[in-house]
Amino acid sequence: MQLYSPLSTTPKRKAVRAPALGSIDGLRIGILENGKLNAEEMLNEVAALFVQHHGCTVRTLASKKNASAPAPSNTLVQVAQEVDFLITGLGD
Amino acid sequence: MSTTASFRTHEVPDDLLAAIDYCYDQGWTDGLPVVPPVVDRVKAMLAADNRPPDTVIAKHPATGLDLSLHAAAVNAVMAGCLPEYFPAVVAAFEAMDKPDFNFHGSTASTGGSAPLVIVSGPYAEQIGMNADVNLFGPGNRANGTIGRATRLILRNVFQMLPGISDKSTQGNPGKYSFCIAERARGNPWPLLCETQGYPKGTSSVTVYAGGGFCNVENHGGNTPEQILASVADAMANYGCITLGQAVVILAPEHMQIVAGAGWTRERAQAYLFSEAKRSVEGMKAVGKYRDREYDTQHGEGAHALAEKGFMHRGLTPDDILITMGGGDAGGHSCFIPSWSRGRGSIMQHSAIRASQK
Repeated sequence: MQLYSPLSTTPKRKAVRAPALGSIDGLRIGILENGKLNAEEMLNEVAALFVQHHGCTVRTLASKKNASAPAPSNTLVQVAQEVDFLITGLGD
Repeated sequence: MSTTASFRTHEVPDDLLAAIDYCYDQGWTDGLPVVPPVVDRVKAMLAADNRPPDTVIAKHPATGLDLSLHAAAVNAVMAGCLPEYFPAVVAAFEAMDKPDFNFHGSTASTGGSAPLVIVSGPYAEQIGMNADVNLFGPGNRANGTIGRATRLILRNVFQMLPGISDKSTQGNPGKYSFCIAERARGNPWPLLCETQGYPKGTSSVTVYAGGGFCNVENHGGNTPEQILASVADAMANYGCITLGQAVVILAPEHMQIVAGAGWTRERAQAYLFSEAKRSVEGMKAVGKYRDREYDTQHGEGAHALAEKGFMHRGLTPDDILITMGGGDAGGHSCFIPSWSRGRGSIMQHSAIRASQK
């Protein structure tokens, strides 16, 4: 008996990690908050630690209208030009 | 495992029960036994759509996984669908693929919604769907298996796996199957497919990320206000009031009272929007008030029925889908809340393709 596979036939995408930063001292931080309750507060607190301990500067606060949808590509492209690294995460 | 015409196949012994167990072993089921997707059945399913089997009908926005007609057909067979049900499965995913439905979020979320599939128009009766007694099941193959195929596709094709990529806190019985037909018989209001602007005779599928099922019992009320006030109270309960949309399925007994008094769908929607509300103080008392949401509802462009000092359910009366379904006897309607996070998913619809035959 021959069964068809019910899985997607899409080839797996190759995901590659961004290279690690050599140092974070003095770098520019972006924040991407997802709109959930407390997300902005939590991420600002995290960013403050980078400012305090590594002399980073917070350049950008980007928001997603929809917490559960991927960030729009134009948001990511714009933020990438303005910052050295981005902090994101859930709040609830 | 081998590949036939670019579609992967698995060779299993000619033993049906062993094949069912094989599907379990592969992790292809929703916990219930599936019909093994043998090649001939899949081909028969695909014959219900005249497009090439590798046609992509939906794409996962985060992982990039595609849903082809072929994969949809395999899962439809596994769910127990007959080929004539396949156009509804396809239309459901064509609707769910619209970005505002956000099927990734509504499936992955702790909120635990399930895609409610509502089939409207003559197609529902043609394939023997149930719009009548025991509307939400059990008992009807088309309703049960179209909804189940939707779940199996989310699981197998899009890899929305319980506990891994589907993190629903408590799940939802609708995640096995959540599919109904709109009742046309005796329905005094235009059918959904008509209000959606499809040509006469064209049926449609509406999809909605439903957070559960809330029975609304009222056997004593005999005015539209009494019936709809019961519904509005359910819609505004603290556990589920958000800016999200709503689906209300009125039982024929309730519809007779509402429409019998001359109320249109639009009037009922406006009434429900006006009455399904909680005071700002009340929302604060339970810790669910947010300035951002209040401003969204009462700021520029606010609907005229949005009352100051109150949070209503939804943004406008149009956010409330109302139609009729269920058996003739009983004052039991239902309200289906949206996925818990308000407007993260907006209901969508799609035509059932006439060419799919």
